[in-house]
Amino acid sequence: MGTLIVWPIVRAILDTLIVTGPEGTRVSLASYRFFFNDGYSLGNLRITAWTTAVSVAILMTIALPISIYLRFATGRVAAVVQALAIFPLFVPSIILAYAFIRVLGPNGMVDIILNSAGLPRIRSPYLTVWGPVIGFVWDNMPLSVVILMAGLSNVTNHAVEAARDVGAGRIAVLVHIILPRIWPSILVATSFVVLGLFSAFTFPYLLGPAAPEMMGPFMLRTFGDVMDPVQARTQAVVTFAICAVFGWFYVRSIARNRARAAA
Amino acid sequence: MKRRDLIKIGLAGLATPTLVRVAHAQTATLNMYTNSDANISDFWTNIIKPAFEAANPGVSINVVIAREGGGTGVIAERALAALQTGTGPQLDMIEQHDPMLPAGGIDAGLWVNWAEAGLANYGRVNPLAIQTPFGLPYRGSQVLLAYDTTKLSPADAPRTWAELSDWIKANPGQFIYNRPDKGGSGGNFVRRAIHEANGRDPSVFRIDNFDAATSPAMLEAGFALLSDLAPHLFDNGAYTSGNANSIQLLAQGAVTMIPAWSDMALQAINQGVLPETTGLIQLQDLALAGGFSQSVVASNAENLEAAVALADFILSDAMQTAVITEIGGFPGVSWDVLPAELRERYADVVPTSIPTFPGGDWGAAISDGWYRTVAPNVTRD
Repeated sequence: MGTLIVWPIVRAILDTLIVTGPEGTRVSLASYRFFFNDGYSLGNLRITAWTTAVSVAILMTIALPISIYLRFATGRVAAVVQALAIFPLFVPSIILAYAFIRVLGPNGMVDIILNSAGLPRIRSPYLTVWGPVIGFVWDNMPLSVVILMAGLSNVTNHAVEAARDVGAGRIAVLVHIILPRIWPSILVATSFVVLGLFSAFTFPYLLGPAAPEMMGPFMLRTFGDVMDPVQARTQAVVTFAICAVFGWFYVRSIARNRARAAA
Repeated sequence: MKRRDLIKIGLAGLATPTLVRVAHAQTATLNMYTNSDANISDFWTNIIKPAFEAANPGVSINVVIAREGGGTGVIAERALAALQTGTGPQLDMIEQHDPMLPAGGIDAGLWVNWAEAGLANYGRVNPLAIQTPFGLPYRGSQVLLAYDTTKLSPADAPRTWAELSDWIKANPGQFIYNRPDKGGSGGNFVRRAIHEANGRDPSVFRIDNFDAATSPAMLEAGFALLSDLAPHLFDNGAYTSGNANSIQLLAQGAVTMIPAWSDMALQAINQGVLPETTGLIQLQDLALAGGFSQSVVASNAENLEAAVALADFILSDAMQTAVITEIGGFPGVSWDVLPAELRERYADVVPTSIPTFPGGDWGAAISDGWYRTVAPNVTRD
């Protein structure tokens, strides 16, 4: 772990700070100054944050009801819903991206169905900021549902029944019994998804607009095509710093759970 | 080992083909890298590999696809590092690679010099296609415009940049090109705009004359033409992320015209990906840029003899004919050494000249500049 992960990170950070010029080697914040004064780079960082926030919000809004339903429902319909929710786990994201273009793209399946029903065509999300959002929500659904369902196994039927017995309604059960128990799981799921999305490449590359770019394609292009490795590393360090905050959320949540289990 | 010694070995092997066969009776696996689109990697896997292996028992070709990330650049850098430490590069041939990269590679003797390697077929190579003796041109293609003839009659198809520009503005949403760094069809469309803004003279741009003080202004003039077109493009200024994605939009009928590589467009029509009603046209005032792929063989290759034999093999009549008939490319050898019947059948696509545009610093400046000035110019409702 030291040589494969920690050392490259340390080197990347040092490379962005140490400048070798004609007057010798010195420490400089110039590459960071460029990044934070460059409207284009900041725009890319902003769209990455926006895409991540919107995707996570939509994802949790859909994943939470599904997992609660799966926790309490039984029977064939629940099995089908579970299979559908987990299915994207087995589809590679590149296949997903091309399926997206065929279905939601211009003159895709949705357009053909709408047209045959005499309805106006939709404005395709392909090559707009909504393209990656839809891709991310679909792709991260299984992970979120699985994590939330694991959290929901902490909610015992006794607790829910006891609350019902004293007259709690559905909303009250959700707010006072279920949410407090699964709050750590929501935090873990959010951290996981944020970490994955912030540096995502395939969906923003294939489905997103040319500009603004998300950090993943932006870093690769700066490194490979603009041939500016120092600026690419600077972008990577900024991305890493933001992801580290969410990593810290995750670690803290795990540590708390351990402490609680030990007590 | 010095490069001259290695070339001598290559020469000796080629002068006596039977000996080469004997040498190959022991098994050798050639590592052949490609960074090209799937049509080219498929061509190697399905056509060249079986034919070469049948002709040279014991030799097999390992087609390695090195797309994305550093592409073949990192492979070539590894070969240069291996040359300096005297170890094996695990690289025999790259099907298409700029021999100027990595910097200093040619001076260090990294690539085999084809003019001195004694290939039986080197004399047949089209002189127009040779840029440097270190790259062996075996296939070429050029970007042209592919359009839907059911929506645009061939008689009305634009033939100059000005006509194309007028057509795009008169037919909003019907044209799209890909991001210039994500594939050559959009890349060379962008370069055509830069040519247009700089007197339509490709000789103005050379690999060694990028000047950080004056060159960006030359590119800006081309970007201004593109920004002017942006609001009239598909979805008010959308750009696909690759050659194949543009073809997909043309195939789905979402747009009427795209720039496309000649070989990819012909293959797509042959395979039914694009309908028979697809028209192809080249601008007459100055063609869109194209080029010939430059094959390189590392002088320190583990299987140097076999790699040089492979280089000769891809220039043979059978393989050069396959370049035309299988992938719709231009042959690396002169058209007049190929069968007359073939020449007549493909008379329409035989180019008289292929403008080129240098890579290096120019390529980096185009990628950076286009994303900063042209791409954000989107009007969304």
